[in-house]
Amino acid sequence: MKILPTTCPACSEQLKVKSLICENCSTEIQGSYDLPPLGQLSIDDQLFLLDFIKVSGSLKDMAGLLKLSYPTIRNRLDEIIERIKITESSRQNKREKNK
Amino acid sequence: MSEIALNSTTTFQNRLTQWLFNPFMFVAGLPALSAGFAIILISGFFCWLGSTHFDGVLDCHIGLAAQWWIFPAEGLIDWILLAIPLFFFGLIISKSSFRFIDVFGTQALARWPYLITAVVMLPIANQKVSSYMIARLNQVQPVAAVNFTDIFIFALAMFVIILMIGWMVVLMYRAYSVSCNVKGPKAIVTFIIALIGAEIVSKFAVVWLLSNMR
Repeated sequence: MKILPTTCPACSEQLKVKSLICENCSTEIQGSYDLPPLGQLSIDDQLFLLDFIKVSGSLKDMAGLLKLSYPTIRNRLDEIIERIKITESSRQNKREKNK
Repeated sequence: MSEIALNSTTTFQNRLTQWLFNPFMFVAGLPALSAGFAIILISGFFCWLGSTHFDGVLDCHIGLAAQWWIFPAEGLIDWILLAIPLFFFGLIISKSSFRFIDVFGTQALARWPYLITAVVMLPIANQKVSSYMIARLNQVQPVAAVNFTDIFIFALAMFVIILMIGWMVVLMYRAYSVSCNVKGPKAIVTFIIALIGAEIVSKFAVVWLLSNMR
C-alpha cells in the first residue's frame, strides 16, 4: 500500500492536494485543497488514532494493545492533540490573513 | 551481520535501555505501585539484616541495629516524601491530566536500585570497616581490626552504591516525567527542588522515627 505523504520531502512544509480523480469516469478536479486535520498528521499518529478508535477510545485498552503503560499512551495522545491544535490555529491564521 | 539481524539487535538494545532507564514506558499505575511497595519491603528486610539505614531520600548508611520494622518504614518515608511534592509540582506545571496512582506507583518502582544497594551492604566486612572508620574518627580504639579483603569489599560496595544512587535519580526523574507528562527545564528544576526538599524533610522524619520509636 502506498503511503500518502503529508509533508514536502525537500522543505518539510505541509503538502496540499492539487488534483483529485474519479477512477470510474476519469473526471479530474484541480485546485488547491488543504488535507483534513487528521490527514495532516504523520502516519504513526494516524495509525495510533485508528487503533485508539478501534478500542472505543479506552486508554487502558490501548495500553494493553500496544504493551505500553497508561501514562505513556495518555502522553502520546496529548502530543497528538497538541499537534492538531497547532494545525488548526495556523489554518485559522492563514484564513484571517487572506481576508 | 544481515540487516534484519542488525535491526533486531538494535531493537533489543533499545528495549533493554528503555527497561533499565525508563521502565515507566511499560509499567505504571497499580502494577508499578505493587512492585515498588514489595521492593521497598524486601529492601527493608535486607537492610535489617545488614543494619543499613536509608535515612533520607538518597541516603544510605551503615548504622545501629534497630527493630525490624524501622527499616521498611525508612524506605516508605523516603518514597512518600518525594512523591508528594512531585505530585503537587505536576499539578502546577503539567498541561495534561494525570493519575495519583501513576505518580506514587512509578516513584515506588524507581527505588528498585536500593534493593541492590541493600544486598551489596550485607557482607559483614562493610560493618567492620564502617565501625573501624568511626572509631578512628572519634579517636577511640577500634573494636575489630580490618584486613585488605574487608577494605576491598567495602570499596567495591561504595562504588556500587554511588552507581545505584545515580541510577535511582535517573529513574525518579523519568517516573516524574512520564507520570505527570512534564519535560524540559521546568520539569528538571521542579524535580531538583522536590528532591532537595524531600531529602531535608526525610532526614528529620527518619531521625524523629529513630529517636521516638526504637
